Amino acid sequence: MTEGLVSKVLVLDGSQVHQDLIKQFCDAHALVPLKVRKNRLMSVLRSNIDLGAIMFAEDYGGSPEESAEIAVRIHTVRPELPIILRRTSEASLDGVSESLRRVCCAAYTAADMAILGKVMDEYIFSLVYPNALVRGISEITESVLSSQFKQLTPRWETPYIVRDRVIFGEVFSLIPLESAWCRGYMMLQTEEQPILDTLNAYAVSNGGASFRTVNNLLGEVTNLIWGAFKNRYVGDQLSASVNQIQVPLIVNHKHKYISFGTENPQLCFLYTLTDENSGNTVRLYQRFIFNLSWSPEDFREIVHDSSELVDSGELELF
Amino acid sequence: MAKILVVDDSSTVRDEVAGFLKNNGMDVATAIDGKDGLVKIKADPGIKLVISDVNMPNMDGLTMVEKIRGELGNASVNVIMLTTESSPSMKERGKAAGIKGWIVKPFKGEAVLESFRKLVA
Repeated sequence: MTEGLVSKVLVLDGSQVHQDLIKQFCDAHALVPLKVRKNRLMSVLRSNIDLGAIMFAEDYGGSPEESAEIAVRIHTVRPELPIILRRTSEASLDGVSESLRRVCCAAYTAADMAILGKVMDEYIFSLVYPNALVRGISEITESVLSSQFKQLTPRWETPYIVRDRVIFGEVFSLIPLESAWCRGYMMLQTEEQPILDTLNAYAVSNGGASFRTVNNLLGEVTNLIWGAFKNRYVGDQLSASVNQIQVPLIVNHKHKYISFGTENPQLCFLYTLTDENSGNTVRLYQRFIFNLSWSPEDFREIVHDSSELVDSGELELF
Repeated sequence: MAKILVVDDSSTVRDEVAGFLKNNGMDVATAIDGKDGLVKIKADPGIKLVISDVNMPNMDGLTMVEKIRGELGNASVNVIMLTTESSPSMKERGKAAGIKGWIVKPFKGEAVLESFRKLVA
């Protein structure tokens, strides 16, 4: 597991004893447990966009039939989220109803939480992200956001791992990341109105900002982050293969869902830009999806000769 | 007055750079990509300085410079690249094509204004 990364898990377990045990487990395994009332479960599932897994007690529904029905409904709404079943008898899916078995990925018991640790490693922390990469992405992005949103203060939360495929906000950008050690995409997602409010409040756009202004701004932010990422982690190296494989990306607008053709967990950062005068905030989700190739053992940071370095924004004359 | 052409596919950058230069008394035109830039340079001999992005659709900035020198036979217009790129190989290609300088984004107008003035003088 990469140091400093966390993941949010939805805990659907009515037992107070087990909730305490799960809380201890989460504290020890870089997981953030989230609880929800039963009557709000579906709305939370539809609105939360950054979950890693669901921890589900087999007696959560009160009866085996009701539990199975809830699990099936969860799976229908969010099929990308692994449902991990807590059982009282044995750490396997043997003996559970067929419908429950179909939607759960694994089982554990409170008596042996080590099994749960292995399941989390398999489903959430399966990709290793170099610490230098995670730290560098935050630094690059914060610097770019500061340069593009001069009136706002950027802050970022601890980066985390998600399996969610639900799109945040109304506007997002995608740019391919290609190197000898990674192939995939960076995706930035945000809401339109808070950016429009900011642009109009500070008259950044002549004649009033429109959705196109937001598109262009997000495009430039994406471009600047991509450029800095490339300069810092890719350099002049060519991508590993001449036979570049591609897979289709699927966007379902009705369900605000995007698939990159893989079950891989994604590296996610949330940045909040705050207008200290008005209190208005802009939220920006940044996801890295290395769906085509991922070889962190070949990752390296480009070391520039300090005598050749020219600061960004400075003119290097030839 | 000598004119500056700003070439960038991002309207955010075009507005920022062109706005800054205009506010500092310069005559500025814009183009949305290398292809558009090439057309505008060909049509307007008053353009003395081109500030261009590298990564653009239709025609990238370095190809545009190569065509300015080659197809148009224009060896006099000064070209500065304003880009997120900073790889040595790209800079070498730019030098070989005859560019005058390189700026890594983001654009910081005050840091380069005097140099721009000299290049259009």
